[in-house]
Amino acid sequence: MRRALAFAWLRLRREPGRMLLGVIGVTAIGALLFDMLLLSNGLLVSFRERLDRSGFDVRVIASESAVIAGPPIDHVSAKLTELGRKPSIAAVQRVRVASADVADHPSTRHLAVAGVDLGAPVPWTLLEGAPPNAQASPAPLVINRNFARTFHLTVGSPVVLNGRCGDASRPLPLDATVAGVAEFQNDAADALTAATSSQAVAALCGERGDLADMLLVQSNPAAGGPDAAAAAIRAAFPALHALTNEQIVERFSRVEFSYFRQLSSVLTTVTLFFGLLLITVLLTVSVNQQLGEIAALRALGLSRARVMAGVLCESALFIGLGGIAAVPIGGLLSRWLDAILRSMPGIPADARFFVFTLHALEVHAALLVIGAVLAAVYPMRLVATLPIAATLRREVVS
Amino acid sequence: MRRTASFLAVVLLTWTALAAAPAPADVLVSRQLLEREHLAVGQTVELSSDAAGTAARPFRIVGVYEPTPDPMRFAQERLEVRVHLPDAAALEDRLPSSSLTSINVELRDREDAAGFASDVERRLPGLTAKSTAAPDERTSTFAVLDRFHLAIAMVTVFGSGAFLLALMVMLVDERRETVATLRLIGLTKQRLIAQVLVEGALIAVAGAAFGVLFARAAEPVFNRFFQWRYDTALVFVRVTPAIALRCVALAVPVGLAASAIAGWTILRRRALLTVGR
Repeated sequence: MRRALAFAWLRLRREPGRMLLGVIGVTAIGALLFDMLLLSNGLLVSFRERLDRSGFDVRVIASESAVIAGPPIDHVSAKLTELGRKPSIAAVQRVRVASADVADHPSTRHLAVAGVDLGAPVPWTLLEGAPPNAQASPAPLVINRNFARTFHLTVGSPVVLNGRCGDASRPLPLDATVAGVAEFQNDAADALTAATSSQAVAALCGERGDLADMLLVQSNPAAGGPDAAAAAIRAAFPALHALTNEQIVERFSRVEFSYFRQLSSVLTTVTLFFGLLLITVLLTVSVNQQLGEIAALRALGLSRARVMAGVLCESALFIGLGGIAAVPIGGLLSRWLDAILRSMPGIPADARFFVFTLHALEVHAALLVIGAVLAAVYPMRLVATLPIAATLRREVVS
Repeated sequence: MRRTASFLAVVLLTWTALAAAPAPADVLVSRQLLEREHLAVGQTVELSSDAAGTAARPFRIVGVYEPTPDPMRFAQERLEVRVHLPDAAALEDRLPSSSLTSINVELRDREDAAGFASDVERRLPGLTAKSTAAPDERTSTFAVLDRFHLAIAMVTVFGSGAFLLALMVMLVDERRETVATLRLIGLTKQRLIAQVLVEGALIAVAGAAFGVLFARAAEPVFNRFFQWRYDTALVFVRVTPAIALRCVALAVPVGLAASAIAGWTILRRRALLTVGR
């Protein structure tokens, strides 16, 4: 086999231009194939990483939806007290999301304001300023960088917010002070996000009820982890829906992210078929041009298997060289494609559509090996069934 | 007024007589829900706003509807019912009967939509009003997807261009002696280049036309697959004249360029050397 490989290499080197063009073609197609494999699971891997990074491993909402879309959870304080007694639960955070405008700054885009329990673990990472104090007056506000940039705010700046909570009338404006600038989980790149205490958000919207849109739970690993925590919540409050990170990822892979999986499957199949067809044509034309030479080699004593192995090695060299070059080129290409997709509105700033995994690399290699073999089948058949004497005679006569 | 009931946590089929209960209210069910739960028009079902089925109320299925295809929600199962607003409010006692999620307004003059929306926001400061024709996140999302698909198409064209060039170089190389003979009997380089270009153009146009026809033939296959996969009436692939023209406009120049380069590689050699003299 080594001799066949060396022989195939010599034959390819004889036509460097053709080899280079073939390898460039395989590289482009291979890079696209590699990117589609990265895309097939990228969003899911990135989503799982982001969920795990958040520190909360169970999410509780009042509807079956995996996102905040249903009715709010009521009597939250009593529920938090009861959940706090469960040994499988380490901490619980409440989240109420409202919409607001900055007073005297008419804008087509509204702010998203989250009301949380400032004494519990918070779903953001503070970049500037100090952790907000729930007792402070005016209400302490933690804002994202986009908000700070858009309204020229820094730590200590006073802000007046007007709630847009769906009522025909509007409650009194809320006086607040910027306590810090933070990075929020699941924040879109262009989002205007702020957070304050749940009492301040209730005042912003004129709500009297004790409501939350979602509860974020940190489970206790020593008492069964997220599964035990979710089970305890379901047992205590059957009307609520508790989902572990694992269940959310599974659900998103089945429903919300399935488009990109389907798209990548279709494009992987089309790309592979297309690449296979082109390599087959290239090898077939190449073999047809060298029929006389191959017949002469056969007449000199090279076995049929050896000549067939030569064609297979030629295919392997084309696809191997192109396939290896496709990995770094595909990596660069994926950054470009990722930047395009991440410009979609509402996509979290740290989400990635194309994520490198060892599994993707293994599948890429396996598909290329299969491709090299399949592409060589027809040209191998051509050289295997070549009539030696008739071919030599035709060569001499022509 | 109709309202999509998002609280469809449970659909409890009831086969018992409901003579003592008040007459069931009317409900429309989506085709997807009808098929999944094996329901039928005329059947009485019980709906509840929570998974435990508490305070369930009877409804009579008076019709089935196909949900309006929504490209932003195509991956979600459309398990929905539509009931009269008072019935929905009574069913979901979390919300007061005066509370609504949204109101759709049909204007006499559609051109006035933006003005109407800003007027509503000014008069009712707690509400958000948007014209359905205004550019929103949906249009941006699909513009981004369009750019993504174009980027993939460009990479594919680049790769196939390289393959095409390799093939054209091989094909022209195969005819190098013929070309040299033609040069020796007096045909100019320009004439031979023109011949290679015309040949390349014919192949490129034929290839592009075949590609468009193939895409047109594959269109229903793709659509049926994805419509089956996501149980929706949404159209996923549509080969429009604009897309076909864009495809030809991309493919033909690549074919011509490959022919020109291949022709040049053979014609730059001296004819006598090519025929071995």
